[in-house]
Amino acid sequence: METIKNPVYIDVLIPLMVIIFIIGVGVVLLYQHFQKNLFIHKLKQETLKANYHNDLLRSNIKAEEEERKRIAQDLHDEMGAVLSIMRMNLVLLEQQSQQTNVSLTPGLENVRKLTENAITSMRNISHRLMPPQLETFGLVKTLEAVARQISESGKTVIQIHAPDQMPDLQWGIKLGLYRIVMELINNTIKHSGATQVTIDIHSSNDQVVCQYTDNGKGINKADSGNGLGFKSIEGRINAMNGFFEIDTVQGHGFKAAIRIPLVPLQNGGV
Amino acid sequence: MNRFILAIIYISLLPILATVILAAKNYRKSGKSIKAFSWFIFLSGFIQFISSASPWIFANNMPFLHLYVAAGLPCLVWFYKTVLDGFISSRIMWGIAVAFLVFTIINSLFFQDIFHFNSYALFAEALIIIILALFTFMFLLNNTMRETGIPDIKSITWINAGLFIYYLTCLMLYYFGETLFSRYSRELLNYTWLFHDIVSMVMYCCFFIGLWKRSKTPSI
Repeated sequence: METIKNPVYIDVLIPLMVIIFIIGVGVVLLYQHFQKNLFIHKLKQETLKANYHNDLLRSNIKAEEEERKRIAQDLHDEMGAVLSIMRMNLVLLEQQSQQTNVSLTPGLENVRKLTENAITSMRNISHRLMPPQLETFGLVKTLEAVARQISESGKTVIQIHAPDQMPDLQWGIKLGLYRIVMELINNTIKHSGATQVTIDIHSSNDQVVCQYTDNGKGINKADSGNGLGFKSIEGRINAMNGFFEIDTVQGHGFKAAIRIPLVPLQNGGV
Repeated sequence: MNRFILAIIYISLLPILATVILAAKNYRKSGKSIKAFSWFIFLSGFIQFISSASPWIFANNMPFLHLYVAAGLPCLVWFYKTVLDGFISSRIMWGIAVAFLVFTIINSLFFQDIFHFNSYALFAEALIIIILALFTFMFLLNNTMRETGIPDIKSITWINAGLFIYYLTCLMLYYFGETLFSRYSRELLNYTWLFHDIVSMVMYCCFFIGLWKRSKTPSI
């Protein structure tokens, strides 16, 4: 083996290599530490972003619900009153026309019927926008009323199972759950061809659980997130810090589980 | 010492003076990191001027160098701590500063007393600053950091570049200085110190540009 005769190599180059090694190791160690903190920093930023989006969603839903409530109130108080007066006047005209033997009766009768239809439609719209029973009688009673109405049509039978002693839910949770169940019922009636729907609502471990089952044709699980209806459901559930799970196979019905925590929400819920 | 070398030594004080004045002028309006760095400028300015005047007052100006090294690195670590805040733990940064302070005190007391050139402490200081400066370049080039927006990034880049150039040159000078002194003429060693002063001028020019480019809006 050839020996290095010039001692400069040993005196200078070897310590120099050690110095470069120390610098390299120092920079790499700092960079490793930085990468770890960068990940935590990114995670914090994402959490903040997600919280911000949830808050935004909550406030949007809250504003939407308030607007619906206002429209429902206006329809009921103003339109309802006007149409009722119109109907009264038409009845009066009908009576007067009978006295003077002028043949206004068929036309007036027609107008009266139309007005009555308008009143009924307006009431239905108003109730769909903000069901008055929800505030007065609660979620289960309201859903039972809806189920009765739909079952009367004969095509789909809806059964509601709920314990007698359900805790009094927050208005935001009550309304959110009502809208979600209505969206699911709407989907069942429109697309599934189901004859039987079962809705099981109960509360356990500080959460309210709603299990929705139908015997329709089901959906492709991969496509479930594409529809606007499912996006709206997910948005509402996220706003309530809840959990939504679908179990469905095409041709074998549809099952959904909704879990919503009963803890106080920020901004007073939606 | 010939007049040329002496002229360079005194000319090299001009950028220091300009940087000290600019740092003092902008101190109130500066962000956290520039404020921390300004303290290093004030310290180095004070020590440089005292040591330049010392040949007429003191026989040996080495105690000032010991003081400069002992106080300078904690100031620079403080600067890097504010730049890397949240990404490099404060414990690590203050740990480096305290460990260095202990090392330099031990070195001044037992190995290279205050009337001798404290090459070990200077060497360790240069090593630490090179590591921090290299890492800071990587930090400043990180996409996430650029997207987040680092306050006074232009100033920090110039200051970091100045520190990196100077301390890398110093490391080489301290490293090869003894070899040059033992194997070659003393005159060559004088020229290496002339080179040191030129690099020092470059560093203070970088500091001056960095402070000049300081963002107009003070960061909180």
